[in-house]
Amino acid sequence: MNNRIKELRARFDLSQLDLARKVGVRRETIVFLEKGKYNPSLKLAYDISKVFKLSIEEVFIFDEVV
Amino acid sequence: MKRTIIIFVVAALMLTSLIMWALNSHIGDNIQEILMIGGGLILVGFAIYIGVTRARNSMRNEPPVDELSKKIMTKASSLSFYISIYWLLFLMYVSDRVPWETHTMLGAGILGMAIIFFGSWLWVKFYGFRHE
Repeated sequence: MNNRIKELRARFDLSQLDLARKVGVRRETIVFLEKGKYNPSLKLAYDISKVFKLSIEEVFIFDEVV
Repeated sequence: MKRTIIIFVVAALMLTSLIMWALNSHIGDNIQEILMIGGGLILVGFAIYIGVTRARNSMRNEPPVDELSKKIMTKASSLSFYISIYWLLFLMYVSDRVPWETHTMLGAGILGMAIIFFGSWLWVKFYGFRHE
């Protein structure tokens, strides 16, 4: 799964720490997400999408399996 | 914050024990003791790193644990349990061939499992969960 967090963060002028604080996680979690080393829980994906005022599908790009 | 303090206290106790052990034994003569004290020092370093990270997070008003840190711990624990089975099997194999005392075997088992956990944690932390 890929995501557009880095791009959207730049557009909204948010640092990793700002975003982490807004969604209640550590900065390291945002680093992991941006590097694609971690797939977030549905709740975290929802919270991040909400910060950017977008839907989950617009922030996180799922690889089609089926 | 209380847990962070406990981590530092345990690390300090372990470091004190290691220093006393090193001072009271002829460490230069025995490779086995050098390995065990070295392993212990690695674990003290690991504990200090975890403590410092937690303290830094709390100073930045970040949560000390979140879903990623919990998942790293869970994954590292399961991985280290799996590898530890092979470590214990190896020790059983060695115990038939090397005349080690029981307490040395137990110490090697416990220390080895702790180091395996540290290695697993490092692996999970730096490799991540790309395929999950």
